[in-house]
Amino acid sequence: MVPRHDLVKGSSNSLLLCLLEQQPMYGYQIVKELEARSQGYFRFKEGTLYPALHRLEKSGLVTGKWQMLPNGRQRHYYYITDKGLAKLAQERTQWRDFLNAVRLILQPGTSGP
Amino acid sequence: MTPELIQYLENIRYNSKLNRADETELISELETHIEDKLRELTESGLSPEEAIKTCLGEMGSTRLVARQIYEAYSQGSWRQVLMASLPHLLFGLLFALNWWQYPFWVSVLLVLTLATAVYGWWHDKPTWAFSWLGYSLIPVLAVGILLLYLPKGWSLLALPLYFPLALWWLFRIIVQTTRRDWLFSSLMLLPLPIIIGWFLAVSPTGKLTEFNLPRVYGFAPWIGMSFIALALTIGAFIRVRQRWLRIGLLAASGLSTLTLVVYYTTGRLNTPTFLGLVMVMWGVLLVPPVLERYLRSGRGIIWRHRKPPRPGLKQAA
Repeated sequence: MVPRHDLVKGSSNSLLLCLLEQQPMYGYQIVKELEARSQGYFRFKEGTLYPALHRLEKSGLVTGKWQMLPNGRQRHYYYITDKGLAKLAQERTQWRDFLNAVRLILQPGTSGP
Repeated sequence: MTPELIQYLENIRYNSKLNRADETELISELETHIEDKLRELTESGLSPEEAIKTCLGEMGSTRLVARQIYEAYSQGSWRQVLMASLPHLLFGLLFALNWWQYPFWVSVLLVLTLATAVYGWWHDKPTWAFSWLGYSLIPVLAVGILLLYLPKGWSLLALPLYFPLALWWLFRIIVQTTRRDWLFSSLMLLPLPIIIGWFLAVSPTGKLTEFNLPRVYGFAPWIGMSFIALALTIGAFIRVRQRWLRIGLLAASGLSTLTLVVYYTTGRLNTPTFLGLVMVMWGVLLVPPVLERYLRSGRGIIWRHRKPPRPGLKQAA
């Protein structure tokens, strides 16, 4: 059985890019959003989110900007770049093909999309 | 911020080995994350102490976070590979092509090395700068050797003045480099035992005379090859992400190049000299981490050099 944290690790880039495609977010917001949308499935050590975000930033898939909130607090927001959007589209296709192949084996008789 | 939280951030800062700008950015981000988390936990009814304990538990170990951050930043581009390998390649070619005998090319190379090292030093010390910095120490050694040739009285006067000054300058460079990352000090000093090895092979008495020149001709292709081998190692060093692999590369490269020096200088380097060189090589690899530990014990924590809020800060919509 593949441990859950390995599944998260293997798909972290796609998950982060997917969230940032919808709106720019800062680290803490991303943690909360991932947890809420996956109904608590995606829980991980929160400090390890930042290496993943910085890796994406170094690859040019996202870009970060400090912003001042109306309450005077500063947040480092991440924005998806055009390169990130292209990468996300590519990863979505790969995921769709993978899930389709898994479905064909686990549920024989069901047709693909 | 409580002492536990400050220590947590300090451990991440220390182990992630980033440059000052990236370090400030990362620590500020983690700090705001921790503030948000603590607020949420205390609002849920936890005491401040419980909130801190839970928060740090959910953030993950400092070693894990720092290692992942290090690996996110450590891999250099191919341009950086070229820049870091270039001084080794140029010195290698100087000997492989036998251009070491032309003062013009030697001067050009030394000026280029010094200028690039100074440029890198004053421009946020990128990883490639440390390769150049190592070779920029050669003129310091060369001047020391040249002082031996002064008339006896002058030599006795100049050496006690020059060597403490040169050593002080060298020590300052090593300390500042080690403050950034001890591995860069080892990277910078790596060619020194090899240069000393070749020098002793050419001139066992430590003085260069016209009788030594045929030996330089004889050894030149191997001298060139040893520097080119270093260039390849440094190229790999810049590309790999894992720190343990980088340390292993430097150790393996240093010791194998030194063995190559001894192999091609059979009869010129005796066993005590070889053992001395091996000790110098181990010193290059082991002294910087010890120095870093020493420096860390007396170093201020992150808050003392935090930058003010970033310029161009925008009001969120």
